[in-house]
Amino acid sequence: MAWSSGVWPPGASTVSDPEPSPLGRGPVTGPVTSGVALVDVNNFYVSSERAFDPSLEGRPLVVLSNNDGCVITRSAEAKVLGIPMGAPWFQIAGQAKNWGLQVRSSNYELYGDMSARVMEVLGRHTTDLEIYSIDEAFLTLHGTHRAQQATGRTIKATVRRNTGLPVCVGIAPTKTLAKLANRWAKGNPHFDGVCHWDLVPQDQRRALLRRLKVTDVWGVGTRNAARLNAIGIDTAWDLAAADPVLIRKRFSVVLMRTVLELQGTPCITSSESTGNEQVLFSRSFATPVTTLDGMQQALSVYAQGAASRLARKNLQGRVLTAFAGTSPFSTGTRSAPSICIPLPAHTANPLELTRAAHRLLPLIDEGVSYIRAGVIITDLQPAGTQDSLLTLDQDPAAGAGPALGKDTGPLLHQIGQRFGRSAIGLGHAGLKAGSDWTMKRDMLSPHYTTKWADLPLVKAQ
Amino acid sequence: MDEFGASGRALGRPAPAAARAELMPSGFASPAQDWFEDRIDLNRHLIKDITSTYIVRVSGHAMDGAGISDGDELIVDRALHPRDGSVVVAVLDGELIVRRLRITHSDTSTDPETSPTTKSNSTDPGDGTAAGVALVAASSAYPPIPVPDPDGLVIWGVATRCLHRV
Repeated sequence: MAWSSGVWPPGASTVSDPEPSPLGRGPVTGPVTSGVALVDVNNFYVSSERAFDPSLEGRPLVVLSNNDGCVITRSAEAKVLGIPMGAPWFQIAGQAKNWGLQVRSSNYELYGDMSARVMEVLGRHTTDLEIYSIDEAFLTLHGTHRAQQATGRTIKATVRRNTGLPVCVGIAPTKTLAKLANRWAKGNPHFDGVCHWDLVPQDQRRALLRRLKVTDVWGVGTRNAARLNAIGIDTAWDLAAADPVLIRKRFSVVLMRTVLELQGTPCITSSESTGNEQVLFSRSFATPVTTLDGMQQALSVYAQGAASRLARKNLQGRVLTAFAGTSPFSTGTRSAPSICIPLPAHTANPLELTRAAHRLLPLIDEGVSYIRAGVIITDLQPAGTQDSLLTLDQDPAAGAGPALGKDTGPLLHQIGQRFGRSAIGLGHAGLKAGSDWTMKRDMLSPHYTTKWADLPLVKAQ
Repeated sequence: MDEFGASGRALGRPAPAAARAELMPSGFASPAQDWFEDRIDLNRHLIKDITSTYIVRVSGHAMDGAGISDGDELIVDRALHPRDGSVVVAVLDGELIVRRLRITHSDTSTDPETSPTTKSNSTDPGDGTAAGVALVAASSAYPPIPVPDPDGLVIWGVATRCLHRV
């Protein structure tokens, strides 16, 4: 395939923004433009653990998923040992000692706080921050390509200095290319963690795209990949050279956008990539739940967890979906009940959400081994858009007085923050942690930054 | 928000607008209404940058002489540049350790600041440029820790305040 013009990506060198850049640095040596930076933390969980425990530096370290199930983050040293991503912990536990492997349970309290610190630093360098996941965000950068790269280097140094976490920065005209540039920055030490797509020689970009498979491109799934391969589109290069109109006809408008983005035309907006349309609270159980009582308790806790998350984001939801499921590997009875409940009004009230979640219970079979359950809240809107004070009164059987109004959710959330998550809860959740469904975290590091009792110790000995 | 934030709020959060006397619907307006200020906020007083500030707990007595006791909490700013005399949290043998940083140059050896101990740790070959670096306790019971390779020394952060129960 050939390009219609010598310029690559098409139009990149002609994109210009007449506005002077507030963040521009240094002499203007090229067209003033704006770019997208993708910043992400290298091995985020592992790096967060190391930030407070220097003894982990240079040693193989893995962090396990919920319930210490499997490996979800590996340090470079652990990768060298050949531990695959997703390896079940029980399979490698026996060799851990021989390897000198360090293992940690997921410390979400720590990672959440470190993430917030990183995002706050990033927000200081852009007017437009889009948090994409716990450890990555898109930023709009202004100025010449050189100025954007300089900002990228400043961001990398500042995050490192303030949090101890290493990040990589990929900068490009579009999000899809920024993803590729970021990946490139990670894999090649000579970029020193910051890669500006437009500042890399054209032949090198071409070589990279020819090396990458279509599945390496952001947003291309394995199903599309198989169909793309069938029509001769195997590499990122092939996809970038494809006719967008043809791709829209044979695949979808979504994939067409990916093609346009690879060609340098930004067309994936933040609302399409953030997916902030729902709050999901779901966990696997440490040991299966087989009783209605157990399931009722779990659903109560998850509904309150979802309510707490809504309160924190200052959101209310209109639709609640509750679900449970058996293991896909189970040889026993399989069951995956779910129920979707429209709520009377937008709410973040844990009482209402818990009551709604319990409507899953008639669909639960006693004796069946459920390994997971969850609650999803959708149709979200900012709290305060609509007063929900009266919704409790609509159901006199609710058993809760009018004193428990719209402030209940934020109040319970605050109390939980202050005195611990199990300090207060609705009746069914109980005050004590249930024995069989709470998360198993046997190798948990301290909550260094969110709990006074867990502060890092410094030796004065 | 962590517990620190919560306690900071409890102390320093301004009264809700509705509770302010200036907004009272009846009676005489408060004579202080033009002089309202936000209440003293410890977070603002103690923390320059929330993204780089951490709180750590001291274990041991080596810093007693600097007013830093066993069990005290230190506010540590990872973004600050350590200087001679800074109380720092450094990484030593995979552990976090608190000491005072001493940096001496041979051309300042007449400086009264330069103690004999730090001078003896100097790796300066005599050209007047190389630095001698040591981590020094604030109690004579703990000998200074020489840093033969200053470039390899990792300063985790600089302590800015000590929270000491009286």
